[in-house]
Amino acid sequence: MTAVLVFALLAASPDEAAFKLPGRIDGWKLAGAPAKYTPETLYDYIDGGAEAFLQFDFQELTAATYVNAKKVEIRADIYRHRDPARAFGIYSQERRPGSTKMPGKLEGVASADHLEFVAGAYYVKLALLDGGPAAILPKLAKKIAARLPGPRDLPAVLGCFPDEGKLPRAEKLSARDFLGHAFLHDAAAVPYEIAGARFRLFAVEGKDAADVRGMVEAWRKVGKLPAAEVGPEGAGTIKDPLNGEVSIAWRGRWLWGAVDDPSPRRQALVEELGRKLRRQ
Amino acid sequence: MSNSTLERREFLKLGGAAVVTSVAAGCATAVAAKPPAAPAPVAAALDPPKTAPPAPAALKPEPAKPDPVAAPTGPPTRRLGRTGIEVPLVSMGVMNADNPNLVRAALDGGIVLFDTAHGYQDGRNEEMLGTILPKRPRESFVICTKVYVDTLDRKTGRFGPKTRGEEITQKLDISLKRLGLDHVDILHLHAQSAREGVLHQKLLRALEKAKQDGKTRFLGVSTHKHEPEVLRAAVEGKLYDVVLTAYNFKQDHHLEVQKAMGEAAAAGLGILAMKTQAGVFWDKAKRKPIDMKAALRWALRDPNVHTAIPGFTTFEQLQDDLLVMRDPALSPADSEKLRGPKLAGLFCQGCEECLGSCAYDLPIPDLMRGYMYGHAYKNREAAQSLLAALDLPRAVCGDCDTCPVVCAKGFDVRERIRDIARLRDVPREFLT
Repeated sequence: MTAVLVFALLAASPDEAAFKLPGRIDGWKLAGAPAKYTPETLYDYIDGGAEAFLQFDFQELTAATYVNAKKVEIRADIYRHRDPARAFGIYSQERRPGSTKMPGKLEGVASADHLEFVAGAYYVKLALLDGGPAAILPKLAKKIAARLPGPRDLPAVLGCFPDEGKLPRAEKLSARDFLGHAFLHDAAAVPYEIAGARFRLFAVEGKDAADVRGMVEAWRKVGKLPAAEVGPEGAGTIKDPLNGEVSIAWRGRWLWGAVDDPSPRRQALVEELGRKLRRQ
Repeated sequence: MSNSTLERREFLKLGGAAVVTSVAAGCATAVAAKPPAAPAPVAAALDPPKTAPPAPAALKPEPAKPDPVAAPTGPPTRRLGRTGIEVPLVSMGVMNADNPNLVRAALDGGIVLFDTAHGYQDGRNEEMLGTILPKRPRESFVICTKVYVDTLDRKTGRFGPKTRGEEITQKLDISLKRLGLDHVDILHLHAQSAREGVLHQKLLRALEKAKQDGKTRFLGVSTHKHEPEVLRAAVEGKLYDVVLTAYNFKQDHHLEVQKAMGEAAAAGLGILAMKTQAGVFWDKAKRKPIDMKAALRWALRDPNVHTAIPGFTTFEQLQDDLLVMRDPALSPADSEKLRGPKLAGLFCQGCEECLGSCAYDLPIPDLMRGYMYGHAYKNREAAQSLLAALDLPRAVCGDCDTCPVVCAKGFDVRERIRDIARLRDVPREFLT
């Protein structure tokens, strides 16, 4: 099965990208035509924050405002990315670990005046300005989500991470520069806490087995390990000068492992992660 | 990872030679030499400096000057205007970094000033810094954050009628909590592009109060559009201590920015430069990277740029930036690298040298004009109308393995045609 994390899906066609925002909901109405921003103009809307979105292959932003009779506003920003994995990626980067899950089935988090969720290739941010009734946000989210085209799958790789000790709603996807290394791309990392030890398990998906072997070779070099031929599968430890001791294993197009605090359970979880990845 | 500090330093030596230990020591000295942490009275902060640098008539590569305050082997530093803070010429734009180890390595490598914003990564960026900075001596780093006021109309640069100064106060309080600090060194009013925004009275009062309350030592304004206007308004406002401005060798108006930076520096403002790497790539397809070290050195040759805040996300990039921090002089080889490939932006000159070279006889100048409408003018309707009038085949530029068209201006013609032709399928109502 091809994981959704494969960052090679085609861009959404115009039909897939087309959606219409609800005009009215519970006394709120759309205030004017939504503004559109492209990768070239996103800076005009969110300044330097645009770079993080571009890193996740941002395609287009629809920025709308809803207003009620008291002139309270809701800002609705609907970011379309190249594929669901990338939409989840930027959502995971912006989501506060441990945030309160939003009501309903959508993957999202909510606070008193903000709500963010992902639906397929879309990352949606709702912000209630001027202190309005917060109950409107989940309703609006549901209505917007129903109009967004495309599949709703979350990145399949996330399902491979063991449950034991996993911190809730804290997974992160990185499109590039994982752990500060340019050679590590398309990574998922999940934080764990077991008996006071905090560590992260990670899975990096290469384009193919050769790509993964290249990553391992580059990492070995950083860790000053002697040159050696990297086979199609293997495991070991790298003393990463910046990230500490990292357990790694690789096979096929997957490279996985653990970083941060050591723990007696850490290696067992790495092995469990590997077993699940091999079934991908 | 607690035992990894030495190893981290060893790693940095791979690119930074003997930078690490001497730089770290030098910078600690430099920062400690700044004025006391207590917020300066507003009146005192408004006094113009007695040694304001003049506006540069013509820029020449500036040789690296040793900093008199730092240790002899430390990196050169410049004084950030009236703040009195001495900083190395290279700082860190933290915006895209989510790895605390990278920030630790930057601190260990000698970087002193870190730039973030309330809104970066929806607050996660400040929180990441909050896992590191409170554990470091407060005088060993300079932290800048920015607050964006939601009522800003980005198109006009003006604030709406509901603008409240309290928004700054509330967001700053949240930022301080995330950072784990009781004050920042510089608080910027984020993303300004017009004089009216920079001088908004309610916001000025809120900024001044933040300074009086000790939540920030200094005040600034950030800009990446209409920079000269913002720089001059910051001088006029008298409240601001620094300006964070976009500045790079690819800006069409970089001479205007230089002039305005000179005026601002002469008035005592500190100047921080951002976007010095000019978009990182020469081309839209991101296949032709700009030499980052050369681009950074180009910005730093202006003595009125007191520090630059390049963003980086890898240790390799950090090493490059540390090299520039030590050796900021722009060499002839650097200048040559900044000439770049033969590219000419978005504007087709209509020379028609390409006519007849396409195997499918596509009207290339017209298509380049459509690309210009869509991307340079942002007028997608006009681009779509033009495309409709050209009677193009259904699939364009899909069959050729190689494209024989050679553009006199260096455009990647096939890529641009593929890009703009997609507009034909976009419903009109989505073209706004």
